[in-house]
Amino acid sequence: MDWTAILQFFRGPFFKISLLVFVGGMTYRLVRILLLGWKRDKVPSRGSKTVGVVKTYLKGLLVLPFIPWVRRTFTPNALTYIGGGLFHLSLVAVVLFATPHVLVWKSLLGFGWPTLPFPVSDWFAAIGIVALVILLVNRLTHPVLKLITKAPLFWNWALTFLPFVTGYMMTHHLGFRYEVLYSLHIISVDVLLIWIPFSRISHFLFYFFSRTFHGAQAGKRAINP
Amino acid sequence: MNAQSAMNTYVKEIGGWVASQLEACTRCGLCASACHFYQVTDNVEYAPVWKVEPLRRAYQQRFTPAGRLRLALGLDKPVTDEDLKHWSTIVFQACTICNKCAHVCPMGIQLGPLIHDVRAGMAAAGLVPADLRAATAKQDEVGSPLGVTDGAWAERMDWIAEEWEVDIPKDQKGADTLVVFTSIELMKFPDNIAAVAKIMAKAGEKWTVSSKGREVVNFGYFEADEALTIKFMARVFDAAKELGVKRIVISECGHAYDAFRWTAPNIMDVPKGVEVTHIVRAIYDFWKAGRIKLKKGAYDGATVTFHDSCKIQRRGGHIKEPREILDWLAPQAFKEMSPAREQSMCCGGGGGVISIKEADPLRFAVFGLKVEQMKQIGAKAVCMVCSNCRLQFTDGVAHFKADVQVRGLTDMVSKAME
Repeated sequence: MDWTAILQFFRGPFFKISLLVFVGGMTYRLVRILLLGWKRDKVPSRGSKTVGVVKTYLKGLLVLPFIPWVRRTFTPNALTYIGGGLFHLSLVAVVLFATPHVLVWKSLLGFGWPTLPFPVSDWFAAIGIVALVILLVNRLTHPVLKLITKAPLFWNWALTFLPFVTGYMMTHHLGFRYEVLYSLHIISVDVLLIWIPFSRISHFLFYFFSRTFHGAQAGKRAINP
Repeated sequence: MNAQSAMNTYVKEIGGWVASQLEACTRCGLCASACHFYQVTDNVEYAPVWKVEPLRRAYQQRFTPAGRLRLALGLDKPVTDEDLKHWSTIVFQACTICNKCAHVCPMGIQLGPLIHDVRAGMAAAGLVPADLRAATAKQDEVGSPLGVTDGAWAERMDWIAEEWEVDIPKDQKGADTLVVFTSIELMKFPDNIAAVAKIMAKAGEKWTVSSKGREVVNFGYFEADEALTIKFMARVFDAAKELGVKRIVISECGHAYDAFRWTAPNIMDVPKGVEVTHIVRAIYDFWKAGRIKLKKGAYDGATVTFHDSCKIQRRGGHIKEPREILDWLAPQAFKEMSPAREQSMCCGGGGGVISIKEADPLRFAVFGLKVEQMKQIGAKAVCMVCSNCRLQFTDGVAHFKADVQVRGLTDMVSKAME
């Protein structure tokens, strides 16, 4: 097989198609929600909604991920917290700050930014893989998760796992020829991009809705979010 | 068909607010461990995320292209009457809509209000538990969920006024403040009404009760039947308009406070310029303005703690007022339970649960957590500002034979006035 041609196709035209599906799909999801109709809140506030919103984002980003036991739900959900936390950390580190990825961003946006040294991003990638395995085990064993998990969630898991694993194998030259692993990595990313708008991975967009509501509701009542 | 009317209600409820939150859920399951009903039973169906499931299915099957397709192809089953019956017991008996789950959710999804929406579908489908339905019907017909008639109400008020030697002005035009009590206070905790009367008199407040707007409890709101919710609140708002008061003080009912203060303006016309507040805030204001004087350290004996009611503290916002009062009344003896404030654990009797006989084992099981919390700090007394919680505490403390005195903060304040 001509892996160079395959690679060229999937990182060239097909990548563009995937990006298009991703952006188009997410835009559709967003617009559909925005068009569902919104009611103005006519309730007089006791406190400031804005303050509540700012507080909830700061808390959600800076406090809760690092001291999750303040909510007292840490112990019964240690795997969810550790797996989920490490996965998101690794995701940001690898996708936004690994040198090859920053080059991709630069080609897409026209500008780049400082990158992490290879050993650091490499460790983050490894952490991400381990975190995903932890999350899978957790999903398969936690009684509540067993109840609320349906097939698509396993697809989400698999399609997120593949880019991590192929990327890691590729940078460490494990198993197959470099072009093969490179192609598989790109293909898995393309597939993931296409899948996201159809899945709950899209939560990164709706997070901003629910977080904002939570902050506003708390701010309105002058309580801590 | 039941399922049809429930689904139609859900479709009506689903706008951007509901949909965006349903979309935000990552199925992480953290909300389960916030729920005291799940904690004590380990029943996975009590996970808040699962309580919202009927609403989620309605959204998926009626609004999303993928869901519609799956339904058409037979890959998803439509929601049946049986499903709804099953969920009715879950959302009415194993949830007080205390909204602690919203504070635990990493996405900040407002699970409490969403479960309230699920209940609305049940109400439309006629699947409200019989006991709760009966109480709602009584409130609709007689004016009180406990069946207190107009005559019985007036007699009881007169009796309280006489017994405690207080003045309870009835239907006074020109009063500034309309205080609306619950039937629970009237029948089970009359000391609370007497205490409010004493405090109002001492503060020199021009206040009144109304024979028309005499019930603050809102069983329509427990059921989440919007028409009834509005009807019951309108009785009070109309009375307020007629009497020309400047503010309505909601006495000790959490759900009622949530309805009047945080829901009414969004679902009905409310009288303009009439402030709605809770009795604990009114008392706090009197105290801060020097209109009542409280004896410092009046209760500085055995350890006393404060129970945060889900709808008055976490959902109502009155977290600091009772604490400042208690820090004054019992600077040494006042101890916090843990967790407290926004993260507090609900008593297990709210949201109408206490009125459903079948749910008794559950609400007592949940109360076990509260008993543990009180034991941890060696509390000899516990006070609160919600008569529904107080009823649950009275029942629960007796059930567990716990050595804890259950008190109303209002009553404590009235007895500590100088």
